Parts: sequence; structure tokens; C-alpha cells
Amino acid sequence: MTIKKYQKIKLIITVVLAVIFSQSIIYKNYLIPLTSLIIASLGMILLRRQVKEVVADERDYALAGKSASWAIQIYSWIAVAAMFILYSLKDLNPAYEPIAMTLAYSTCFLMLTYSLMFKFQNKIKFTRDKTKFLIFIIVLSIFTTFFTLRLFSGEDNWVCQNGQWQKHGHPDFPAPSIPCK
Amino acid sequence: MNLTQDQLANLVGVRRETIVFLEQGKYNPSLKLAHDVAKTLKTSIDKLFIF
Repeated sequence: MTIKKYQKIKLIITVVLAVIFSQSIIYKNYLIPLTSLIIASLGMILLRRQVKEVVADERDYALAGKSASWAIQIYSWIAVAAMFILYSLKDLNPAYEPIAMTLAYSTCFLMLTYSLMFKFQNKIKFTRDKTKFLIFIIVLSIFTTFFTLRLFSGEDNWVCQNGQWQKHGHPDFPAPSIPCK
Repeated sequence: MNLTQDQLANLVGVRRETIVFLEQGKYNPSLKLAHDVAKTLKTSIDKLFIF
């Protein structure tokens, strides 16, 4: 298979996936997009093996690095600006606050991941002192897992009791706007 | 040597576009790529690349 054919198929698969995702979200079905994503990923891996030409070389990697850095910076600036604007307007509409928080957390997560990947590439590939770095990675992974579990545990949330939304813990977002039954 | 850009790209393990950019002087190759290209063309790096 030629690289051009591979890229065309990749583009078609991406478009089909986007359609499946958007339609599944509308119909609130999360199994179909997950299944299709796994199938598409496996299909892409198999197709990639059929390509005998060089798919990416050192110039692509250099460009990819620069592009990723720029993309992260652009996203971060836009997300932070939007976060401040939405947070300052939270009195007008309480729904703005969770959106602002999501933007803030996603930016932090993106920057943390980028820094971690940079360190990983730098340390693992160019030094022999891997032990300390691997320990750091394990500790950070454990911390991130606990933080994520805490965040999604429902400890700080709104609970529907006797037809009213009651605070459970200290939720930092307003009560749901849907009626409590 | 009578090589096409495609053939040279395959011999040194890069994409044809990289060879095009190299020829146009728009890309600074890594030392390894410069060495590989020079070796393939049976010349030396300093003769091949003018800085």
C-alpha cells in the first residue's frame, strides 16, 4: 500500500468516526463510539503495517514537536481567557462556573501531560539514570489516580432528597438545573 | 550517481519531501541523515553541504 492511499483511508476513517461520535452523543449511546474507536484503531495499526514507504521521518518529528508546542500554547491562552470571562460572568448564569472549571482543569492537565512527556523523552532517551524518574512517574500516577477518583467519586456533589437538591460535601458548582424528583 | 529523489529517500529512510527540502536548502538535517546521504552518494558531508 502506498502512503497516499493510507492517508486517504485514514482521513475517511476519521470522518466516519466523527459522524458516529456526533450521532451517538445525540442518541446518548456511548458503546457504539467506543467500539468503533477500538475497531478503527486496530484497523489503522493493521493498515500502517501494509505501508512499505517511510510514513514519518526526522523532519516530520521536528515539525510535530513545534506544532504540538504551539497548539498547546494557543489552546492554553484561549482556554484561560475563556475561563476568566466565564468565571466573572457566573452571577449572570451559574452554568458558566462548571464550564470555566472544566477549561481550567483541562488546561492544567494538558500542561502537566506535556511537561511529563517532555521530561520522559529527555530523561529516558538521553540519560541512563532511569530509576529515579520511573519512581517519580509511579508516584505521580498514583497521585493523579487518587485525585481523579476523588474528583469523580461524588463525595462533593448535589443529592436529590425529598424533592430538593441537598449539598453532599462541599460541591464547588451550583445545584443541577433539572427538577429533583 | 543517477538516483531519483524517491530512490535516495528510500535508501536513507526518509520521505521524498525531506530530500526536496534538503536540495532547496530549506532543511538542516540531523548529523545522522547528513552522514547517510553523504555515504549513499559516496561523498563527504563537507562536500555535500555548504554552510
